[in-house]
Amino acid sequence: MKYIVIIGCGKTGRELSLELSGDANVIVVDKNLKSLDALGDDFNGKKIWADALDINTLEKAGVKDADAVYVITGNDNLNLVVGKVTKRKYGTKKVILQVNDTMKKKIFKEEGLTIVNRTYLIVEVLRKCIA
Amino acid sequence: MYVVIAGAGRLGIVLAKKLREDNHQVCLIDRNENLCNQLAGEMSDIMLICGDATYPDILKEAKIEKADVCVSAASNDEDNTIICYLAKELFGVKRTVARVNDPKHIPLYKYMEVDNPIDSTSIIARIVEEEASFTDVMSLFSIKKGRLSIVRVDIPEGSPVANKSVKDITLPHNSVLVSVLRGPDIIIPYGSTVILPGDEIIAATLIDVEKDLVKALIGKI
Repeated sequence: MKYIVIIGCGKTGRELSLELSGDANVIVVDKNLKSLDALGDDFNGKKIWADALDINTLEKAGVKDADAVYVITGNDNLNLVVGKVTKRKYGTKKVILQVNDTMKKKIFKEEGLTIVNRTYLIVEVLRKCIA
Repeated sequence: MYVVIAGAGRLGIVLAKKLREDNHQVCLIDRNENLCNQLAGEMSDIMLICGDATYPDILKEAKIEKADVCVSAASNDEDNTIICYLAKELFGVKRTVARVNDPKHIPLYKYMEVDNPIDSTSIIARIVEEEASFTDVMSLFSIKKGRLSIVRVDIPEGSPVANKSVKDITLPHNSVLVSVLRGPDIIIPYGSTVILPGDEIIAATLIDVEKDLVKALIGKI
């Protein structure tokens, strides 16, 4: 089974966690307890209530051994810092970040970081609607 | 020097004013528009930019590529690390300094290659600890990021060094007596100088042997 760490349990994090926890080991990290509670009883994974900017949290979540780490909080700068440190310090194979600012997406492109941008995605979908 | 400061909180403002007094060129960036307008009235000799310093175009507007130092004094650590990272990677700023808000976040600053992360919480905690626990020892000041410190120690009755001459005292390696203050007199100690109870000793010490020095002079910690 794949081992996946998801940092940020907002709307996107919640959906992704529930979706993936069916057939992967999922660990979700959020500093807000309510967000973790919102996962409900169906969530079949581990929750960590902690600050992702603290290296100890990343260690506890086991980002080093993860097959993939998603950093998808609502804070672009936090996502970038945590994503970069995860890649640099732990060499995690797949690090996927949500970065909503299009300019920052370009600057922070780095080997091994996959940056997902909401605006690009929506534009892509909208474009396909008339194709 | 030209210094760009991101974040016009209390720290950013005080620092900007101090640097101006020393005739440095200063640019202050903050995203709070009301604050910027207010500061523009107060500080006419400082360049003010209203915007989010984690965006490269705002840093460009501040001409950060010409800066000798970039100081990031925002109140959250993710922004500070990103600002310093951009300053260095994108604009080639040689020296980046940041305020660390939460000591737990220090490793992030290291991995993001910030030159001088300054952990004010720990610095203040250390000062408070010193003031609270040993009134007879005071750290006067320190240099080289706190590695070398100048301390003042009051010699109590019953101190292991009381009534001994300096040549008979064993001090830890990497520490040295600088002067003896006795009432109105300032004595530069030689081997024959005798230390008396009630003397104030000024000593220079590397931080890792500071406790040993204090122990040698007053006998307890």
